[in-house]
Amino acid sequence: MSAVDLARLQFATTTSFHFLFVLLTLGLVTLLVVMQTRFTITGLPVHERMTRFWGRIYVINYALGIVTGIVMEFQFGLNWSGLSTYAGDVFGAPLALETLIAFFLESTFLGLWIFGWGKLNRWLHLALLYLTALTAFASAFWIMAANGFLQHPVGYRVDGNVLRLDDFGALLTNPTFTSALTHVVFASITVGGVFLTGVSAYHFIKRTPEADFFRRSLRMGVVTTALATPALIGAGFAQFPVIARYQPGKSEAAQWIGAPLGFMIIIGMVLTAVSWLTLPLLFKDAVIRMRFPLYLMVIGIPLPFVAAIFGWMFREIGRQPWLIYGLLRTEDAVSHVDASQILLSLVVFTFLFVVLTCVDWALIARAVRRGPDVAPAPVSPMVVTL
Amino acid sequence: MEALWLTVLGVLTVGYFALAGFDYGSGLLLALPRRDVSSRRIPFTLPHAHTRDETSRLVNPFFLGNEVWLVAAIGVLFAAFPRLEGELLSGAHSTFTLLLAGLVLFMAAVQLRLWWWLVFMGALMVSVGWGLFLAHLLEAPWPVAFVMPVLFAVHGWVFQNRCWKLFPVTAALCALPIPLAFSSIDVTGLMAHSDTLSLLAWVAIPIIPLVVVLQWSIVAISSR
Repeated sequence: MSAVDLARLQFATTTSFHFLFVLLTLGLVTLLVVMQTRFTITGLPVHERMTRFWGRIYVINYALGIVTGIVMEFQFGLNWSGLSTYAGDVFGAPLALETLIAFFLESTFLGLWIFGWGKLNRWLHLALLYLTALTAFASAFWIMAANGFLQHPVGYRVDGNVLRLDDFGALLTNPTFTSALTHVVFASITVGGVFLTGVSAYHFIKRTPEADFFRRSLRMGVVTTALATPALIGAGFAQFPVIARYQPGKSEAAQWIGAPLGFMIIIGMVLTAVSWLTLPLLFKDAVIRMRFPLYLMVIGIPLPFVAAIFGWMFREIGRQPWLIYGLLRTEDAVSHVDASQILLSLVVFTFLFVVLTCVDWALIARAVRRGPDVAPAPVSPMVVTL
Repeated sequence: MEALWLTVLGVLTVGYFALAGFDYGSGLLLALPRRDVSSRRIPFTLPHAHTRDETSRLVNPFFLGNEVWLVAAIGVLFAAFPRLEGELLSGAHSTFTLLLAGLVLFMAAVQLRLWWWLVFMGALMVSVGWGLFLAHLLEAPWPVAFVMPVLFAVHGWVFQNRCWKLFPVTAALCALPIPLAFSSIDVTGLMAHSDTLSLLAWVAIPIIPLVVVLQWSIVAISSR
């Protein structure tokens, strides 16, 4: 394989792994906001315990997800130096704003939230979670703005052989950005809903003594999924006219490109149908007493993750052969490094990301199995206070 | 504009190394023989040596802290110095592969807390990686790479033994080599247009002090 192919494969692999962490982070933080708001207003212990239990899982996933993001960020410079050289002035702006406004602040607010547990005024502590959630979505905002520019470049002027930032506002009203951002936001909320449902179902399968705790969680998961999926699908279909207008060749970029798109749509439809069918079954806990649906809920946990990867495959492969649509070809942006160096980093990072994902899964599974009431026994040093 | 962005980049890099120094330094010190709490004092061990568990607990509040500085520094490098970023990183491709692999390993190992030597390996890879990058910037022979792990380990030792008088000194020793070596690069012509830079300045200048204050509060709260 050539350096370009290896670099593309590496980008696809690391982004896919990174996005798995991102989805769960965004989904859980949204639901945590609801849980902790309820606790802060009502003072009921069950809401506090829910915030703690789901918060612990959220923090594990966040901490391990950070490093995948760092590798992603370095990868632009390591493998795609042509992108920064040519378009760094424009593409770099939303990227830098993401690191400064969103990630830099998000991690700091989250750190304060973790270590301030039980030590800060509870309204202040709630405010920290709101700020964490807000900056987390700001992160998605800027990254999608940067990606939208690659799909349909706007707001630039050509100056010699580089691009300059001409109209920053145009980057934020870019139609390939706004429609995709909504889609990504609802995809992450769907992931949160499906995850809550599946984990709670697991505890009912195991005949949990924490019936009230997981009944509430399961309801919250199902209702969230039912509310988020129609918006998710709507935002998905809303992108087709945008694609038809700005990237007419997208569905012909590769012969098989329709397949991931099709699977993604099917998964979205299935989740919508199933969550709406489950809603009436929440009445008098019918769905829990039937037991059979509980198994489907557990099996369903990976579905929205898989759908999201398929969606990204369509969006990114469909942009080829361009890195910046119509302006910069992918093959022209790859760094002048030896293919063997890219191969080495591809092998190393793929291996480590698989390990990291397994560690994430193992730590989350352990936190899930231990249930809501674990005495101090820390899951990880980061979450010792939760 | 040029001086401003070099300062911003410098502050972020210094912030990263000052925070990362005792993090990875503490990881490196895990390889030293440990004094068991119950056993009698063994010569040549640290006077206040902690158990390995205690070490990770001590580093705890700083843990998320250092990496956000690195992410912010690379983000600024990308947007403010676009013609430099790609060349700088791709020019040391394998060094960064080692460094980033160490970073991933360190994080996974600390979270997993099963084998201390994995934490040590991660810390070693990151610190040697920065050392190799330093040697690359200075065009110095590779043994220069060992400067960074040694400095990190000393800083970690000072931190674990709470020698607060020495602490700023070792923090500076960890923080300065790479920004100083970096300052030998001539950035004229490599920077972004002032249209991009002035947009970013509105964000970078208020946010950095805010993060410093907030991170300081994390430390203050967690030691309460």
